[in-house]
Amino acid sequence: MAENFTSTGEYVASEELIASVNIAIELQKPLLIKGEPGTGKTMLAKAVAQSLGKKLIIWNVKSTTKAQDGLYMYDTIQRLYDGQFGEEGVDDIKRYIKLGKLGEAFSDEEQVILLIDEIDKADLEFPNDLLWELDQMEFYIHETRETIRARKRPIVIITSNAEKELPDAFLRRCIFHYIDFPDKELMEEIVRTHYPDVEDELLKNAMDVFYRIRDMRNVRKKPSTSELIDWIRALQIGGIPTEKIASTLPFVGVIVKKDEDLAEVKKNMSM
Amino acid sequence: MFTHFYYTLKAKGLDVSLGEWLTLIEALHRNLADSNLTTFYHMAKAILVKRETDFDKFDMAFEEEFKGIMSEDSVRSRMLEWLNKEDMNDLFHESDKAWLSNMEEMHIDKEDVETKFKQRLKDQDSEHNGGSYWIGTMGKTSFGNTGGNVGGIRVGGSTGYESAFQVIGERKYKDFRDDRVIDNRQFMQALRKLREFSTRLDIPKTELDIDGTVQKTCNNGGCLEIVMEKPRKNTIKLLLLMDSGGTMIPYAQLMNELFQSVHRSNHYKDVKTYYFHNCIYSHVYNTPECENGDWIETEWMFRNLDKDYKVIIVGDAAMAPEELYARDGNYRGPNGGLPGMEWLQLMKRNYKSVVWLNPKMAIGDAPWREAETAIKQVFPMYPLTVNGLNQAMQKLMKRQAC
Repeated sequence: MAENFTSTGEYVASEELIASVNIAIELQKPLLIKGEPGTGKTMLAKAVAQSLGKKLIIWNVKSTTKAQDGLYMYDTIQRLYDGQFGEEGVDDIKRYIKLGKLGEAFSDEEQVILLIDEIDKADLEFPNDLLWELDQMEFYIHETRETIRARKRPIVIITSNAEKELPDAFLRRCIFHYIDFPDKELMEEIVRTHYPDVEDELLKNAMDVFYRIRDMRNVRKKPSTSELIDWIRALQIGGIPTEKIASTLPFVGVIVKKDEDLAEVKKNMSM
Repeated sequence: MFTHFYYTLKAKGLDVSLGEWLTLIEALHRNLADSNLTTFYHMAKAILVKRETDFDKFDMAFEEEFKGIMSEDSVRSRMLEWLNKEDMNDLFHESDKAWLSNMEEMHIDKEDVETKFKQRLKDQDSEHNGGSYWIGTMGKTSFGNTGGNVGGIRVGGSTGYESAFQVIGERKYKDFRDDRVIDNRQFMQALRKLREFSTRLDIPKTELDIDGTVQKTCNNGGCLEIVMEKPRKNTIKLLLLMDSGGTMIPYAQLMNELFQSVHRSNHYKDVKTYYFHNCIYSHVYNTPECENGDWIETEWMFRNLDKDYKVIIVGDAAMAPEELYARDGNYRGPNGGLPGMEWLQLMKRNYKSVVWLNPKMAIGDAPWREAETAIKQVFPMYPLTVNGLNQAMQKLMKRQAC
């Protein structure tokens, strides 16, 4: 392998994850990343781009996003308006074709990283509509009878929050990686890459509380990595005496967001 | 290569496609696994398994397939080079085989072997092949590769074999298995399967039909003429009937989750929920408390909720036979002159698709559960798990499901 993805200064990846990324790059298949919210799925693409020194193109998927949006848009309305006022160049359809994120990634001179973020937000059929484009790395613009083909096959990273099941045909074409919730060791490393100057005592106490809350059976929304990172920042700024973290739970709203969870945490922590 | 593994995976219920398998072979061909079992494990998992709910199945298959391979964690890489001999089989003599069969009769203490192995690993500092004391190939000690000792420790391939099995040993993905009873989010996913889009609804045209507008405007000589169309909507109507009898109390949490998921899935055209106690009789209740009086007539339901409603009945189907077959079997309310079974038959006749979800369904046939067996004859019954719910939803989406 000529170039390999490794952990960066800002992103700590497990060996397994690094291996999955490199396999996906080598086999030229999309990498599908799944995992709890806040485990750094989106961050991964940024880290890969940084580590390989490539440009990152992000396609944020919303509930209304259609596959077509990623390829290109034909701005009929604009053309219509221009036509009414006799603007110059109306007869040139190309002027009204706007490439989407996928189109952008395909037409770039350099190899880019394409992040299709939260693919599960869109309609159930959305991933199926992209099968051909991701397989063949090309699409056809009907209006101009042009085929847009990837100059350099982009590295495709897709994230999913598991809100919807993805179709089988789509899954079969991907390399799949499930980001496990980090264990304490990895978590410590992750926090330290964000705050190298964090006090040992503060980190230890905060992590203890954090993992205790995660282990509570009745807590419905488990706090995530990104929330822990925010919480530690809050604790640092607040200058809370470290030994009081477990007893007073300062700024606990940063990691526990639901009222009933908060009550549960307070009940369990005071015991 | 490894074709047997493919069938082991299939046997464990993992649906690996040929395409995925070929991808793995390609990866192996390109030496992406680096001849390392742990790397191979991660790689195979990433390529072949696409759902975390299947990780456990994969782990089990992997363990079954490769558990014969053992290694010592602290084996140094240089030692592995000594052992990595390609022409091993040529060197294997007949005499060695005879010696090997003798060895089989001897008792081998595994712990003893391990301790000695570690000790000797410390002492050894060079390559040994064919000897009878040091670790090496073709030897007769308990240690090394392609050696003649039975029950000894095989040093081979690479370090890290152990860690693959450590991961598997923990079975840390067990909780993801989708045959376990499900939670809210997964319920919602399953319920989303129930959809049937249509624009043939009796609703106002609220969406701008761009293509139509362009067409009309162009035909109109460039003067704008707007065309509207009806939005596509899910036409599914759902009738949820939940058992809140005494035997259902252990499943209260689960029932609550299902209820929440159905009501939060706001993509149905209509959702109606009623409750019953053990079996459906002449009335269904408005609340889970099932208080007499706070009810609607079952026949009113038949008249007002048409046959297109998809019906999900949730109950443990655990009741005495007379509750199902006697005309006065309902011990806490009116029977309406018909036994429970008749009412269930009426349900079946009145609705096109009905499924029954059972949180404690018996696996396979369970003739001793008389009521459950009888109800299974009437409605397709599924366990209240991710798999069960998915199957039930598929059944509901088929026309004339029952």
